[in-house]
Amino acid sequence: MANAFVLRKIKKLYLINYLVVGLVAATMVLPFVWMVLTSFKMRGEILSIPPSFFPKVWTPENYIDAASRLNVLRIYWNTFSVTIIKTFIQIYLSALLGFVFGKYDFKYKEVVFYFILATMILPFEVYMIPLYRMMVAAKWGDSYQALIVPMMFSAYSTFLMRQFMFTIPNDLLDAARMDGAGEWFIFHRLVVPLCKPVLATLISFYFMWNWNDFLWPLIVISSQEKMMLPVALSSFVAEHGTDYGLIMAGAVMASLPVIIVFVIFQRYVVQGISLTGLK
Amino acid sequence: MTGIQLRVKSIINLFGGINGPKKRMTLFIVVPAIIYYLILRYYPVFQTMILSLTDAKLLRKDYQFIGLENYTFIFHDPPFVKAIINTTVYAFATTILTVILALILAFLLNPLPYGNNFMRLLFYLPMITSGIAIATIWLWLYQARFGLFNQVLGNFGVHPIPWLISKEWALPSLIIMAIWGGVGYDAIVFIAGIRGIPTEYNEAAKIDGATEWQMAIHITLPLMSRVVVFIVVTSIIGSFQVFQQVFLMTRGGPLDSTRVISFSIYDYAFSRLKIGISASMAFVLFIIVGVLTVIQLRMQRHDWEL
Repeated sequence: MANAFVLRKIKKLYLINYLVVGLVAATMVLPFVWMVLTSFKMRGEILSIPPSFFPKVWTPENYIDAASRLNVLRIYWNTFSVTIIKTFIQIYLSALLGFVFGKYDFKYKEVVFYFILATMILPFEVYMIPLYRMMVAAKWGDSYQALIVPMMFSAYSTFLMRQFMFTIPNDLLDAARMDGAGEWFIFHRLVVPLCKPVLATLISFYFMWNWNDFLWPLIVISSQEKMMLPVALSSFVAEHGTDYGLIMAGAVMASLPVIIVFVIFQRYVVQGISLTGLK
Repeated sequence: MTGIQLRVKSIINLFGGINGPKKRMTLFIVVPAIIYYLILRYYPVFQTMILSLTDAKLLRKDYQFIGLENYTFIFHDPPFVKAIINTTVYAFATTILTVILALILAFLLNPLPYGNNFMRLLFYLPMITSGIAIATIWLWLYQARFGLFNQVLGNFGVHPIPWLISKEWALPSLIIMAIWGGVGYDAIVFIAGIRGIPTEYNEAAKIDGATEWQMAIHITLPLMSRVVVFIVVTSIIGSFQVFQQVFLMTRGGPLDSTRVISFSIYDYAFSRLKIGISASMAFVLFIIVGVLTVIQLRMQRHDWEL
């Protein structure tokens, strides 16, 4: 009797839980659904009262139009190549630095480490103007170097890599040294494979961050053909702001690659958030 | 040995205490890192400090020192004062509301036997999508006449709300959007926090006859206060740097009702080309964020001592 009562109570409780959580989950997805649906509607249908939920006629018109106004393939290529190169450099250098800070002992190690870590608290706005002037002075204005070189190192991922290095036993490294392995060999063939999970997490996060990066590309890149995707979308919206089908098609094209990457690397992203509190 | 040779040797000795190959690798990566951070982080911050005391213009090389004039100017400049107020309201309102909702969500979601992972995946969507794409979508949702919100509200007899086009609604609109964007992430972190708590406490309480609600309030919540404080402070810091949404959706308007600090910094530097003034604004932002960071570090240290 008592047991049945408790069971019923628990089930009722979960019903409310499912209702609320389901509602929130629907709220999370609805704007995206609305974006996709709007992007497939005809112009006249978008601005109709009352609105239709599903398009009466599914039309690719907005995508064709957006693709012809935006140099989509070029922008994809720019964003993709810069994002891949930047992410690779950031994570490789962080892993190397993390290894050195986590596994070696040298004078002033702590000082140097905190010297690097302290830069994490700097808001980007605080060094952005001088950085821009430096890029212009180096004749790097409107270039991909300007997007990549000033962001080569990352204090955040260096810190996380160093933390992860602590979990690798020293004996393992020493055993490899006894067998005559050099330090570079140990790093590339032993440490990097052991770091695979954390590396996958960091790569997926930095890929998303770099892909979505806005302010610096907005400032540094001025020519149309070198633009990154979020900046291109923003100027596209500024130009065609009232043509909602068109800008929704642009928004779909801008968010799709990251969503695909997320679906592929989902496991690592989920791990990353619950393990490290990454954002 | 000459003085220079000695100095070079002493620099190499800085990284003494380890043998050959390790030393080579350390020098190979640590020295470039130090140079990188000096040139591309510390020096620019120092430069911002200097620029904030000058009348520098973006595309001109020469400038003159004018003391604290920029600071006097910005604190007597109504739009910038408005920006500080707006940013503070935005940061605190967004953070507090998001955290409360996320806590409720985490407590509701955590015990669910089925669909837990699937629903959490949906919560990631706003987090991984570019802020600009999200702002674009919401620009359409908030559209005064044809936007989804006003159309749906209209069905319930609510008058159209002038979301982004009135000075009363514009900032709340941005806050609502930010809550939507942040609540999933916070909830996911809180769930991790709940799961990190040893189950013994709750089991003991259950034996003593505590209800689910009592256990949540008196056991789980206090035990995860560390995570909550961490999220609160980091999201206040993050919200103080809000830029993309404002840049795309309102440009600070209408009537400066959504002008925020970062937007002012950008506006002065790259539209009005007055980087001296912009630098002084950036420095004000730095001090606000710095104070918040110190508070966070203090609280964490307090935690360690316990």
